[in-house]
Amino acid sequence: MRVLSENIDVIQKLDIRGKVCPMTFVYTKLKLEEMNSGEILEVTLDFPAALKNVPANCERQKLGALLEVKSLETEKESWLLKIKKI
Amino acid sequence: MDFTQEQIERYSRQIVLKEIGGIGQKKLLNSTVTVIGCGGLGSPVLYYLAAAGIGNLKLIDFDKVDLSNLHRQILHFTTDINKNKTQSAQEKLSLLNPDVNLEVVNDMISPTNIKEIFQGSNFVIDGSDNIPTKMLINDACISLKIPFSIAGVIRFNGQIMSVVPKEKTTCYRCVFGDIVEHESSMSCSQAGVIGLIPGIIGCIQANEAIKNILNIGDLITNRMLFLDLLKYRFSFIKLVRNEKCLACGDDAVDLVSTHDYKIGDACFE
Repeated sequence: MRVLSENIDVIQKLDIRGKVCPMTFVYTKLKLEEMNSGEILEVTLDFPAALKNVPANCERQKLGALLEVKSLETEKESWLLKIKKI
Repeated sequence: MDFTQEQIERYSRQIVLKEIGGIGQKKLLNSTVTVIGCGGLGSPVLYYLAAAGIGNLKLIDFDKVDLSNLHRQILHFTTDINKNKTQSAQEKLSLLNPDVNLEVVNDMISPTNIKEIFQGSNFVIDGSDNIPTKMLINDACISLKIPFSIAGVIRFNGQIMSVVPKEKTTCYRCVFGDIVEHESSMSCSQAGVIGLIPGIIGCIQANEAIKNILNIGDLITNRMLFLDLLKYRFSFIKLVRNEKCLACGDDAVDLVSTHDYKIGDACFE
């Protein structure tokens, strides 16, 4: 899923590289719970299954909506998820 | 209060739950639950509440561990025989979750000490083995407006109900007030009890405490859950509040300081 989101200011960042499911969602959830509706969270992670699991759980629990997924050119394959707090 | 890395790991499966999350977990860690009895019901109650991260647990028991307790009182081991139940429980629970602050009362609850002990609790759980004590717990909790769960087990049967005084739900005295003043009840030692029934009922009591603290789901209020594990009959009986109940009714009185509960007259194990 890819949504254009050029003009949204990044407010929070979370680096959970090295974490696997379900801890990827746990850390994302804890961060989102502290944020205000409409704010953006940038999550960096490297566990492939989390690419689907984290956004799916965030949406199921009405915590956040996925705006964008970016593949990062790092030594170990990793990704950046942009999630908007619901 | 921020979580430590260890707390995030320890409570991760609860934090994942939609109904709990980090916000709910902090509520649990900031709460106080008082448990009367470290026996058949108290064991699973305390075990799961400590594991769930209820931040403050108050354990009350005056008894010592007996060999005949071990088939159902799962906090105690063979090496604990003759040890105070509170001490045995404290040893296991502090190993299970060092996060939890354990306060031990090695005494029998009575009309003179009960309010002081219960004060400050978010929820009270009855794991006592006799009706006069249950009635005292009921009256004290209603007076202090603390929600609580009362349960009993015998043979293959168990029953459980919760009371939320602020919502004026049916209380234990509404249901049993008239009966217990006149009739003696049979204890587990005479009637027998299958070891796992307090395990199941105790787990439900722990669930009641967690749910009430988090304000999620429905409690067993204005009804009583009956379990018959021989026939596998699980049933709810509707309970109706007695408007003339001396504990919770419209003209309620301060029973704890005036009523003769006859605690100790009951035949203990």
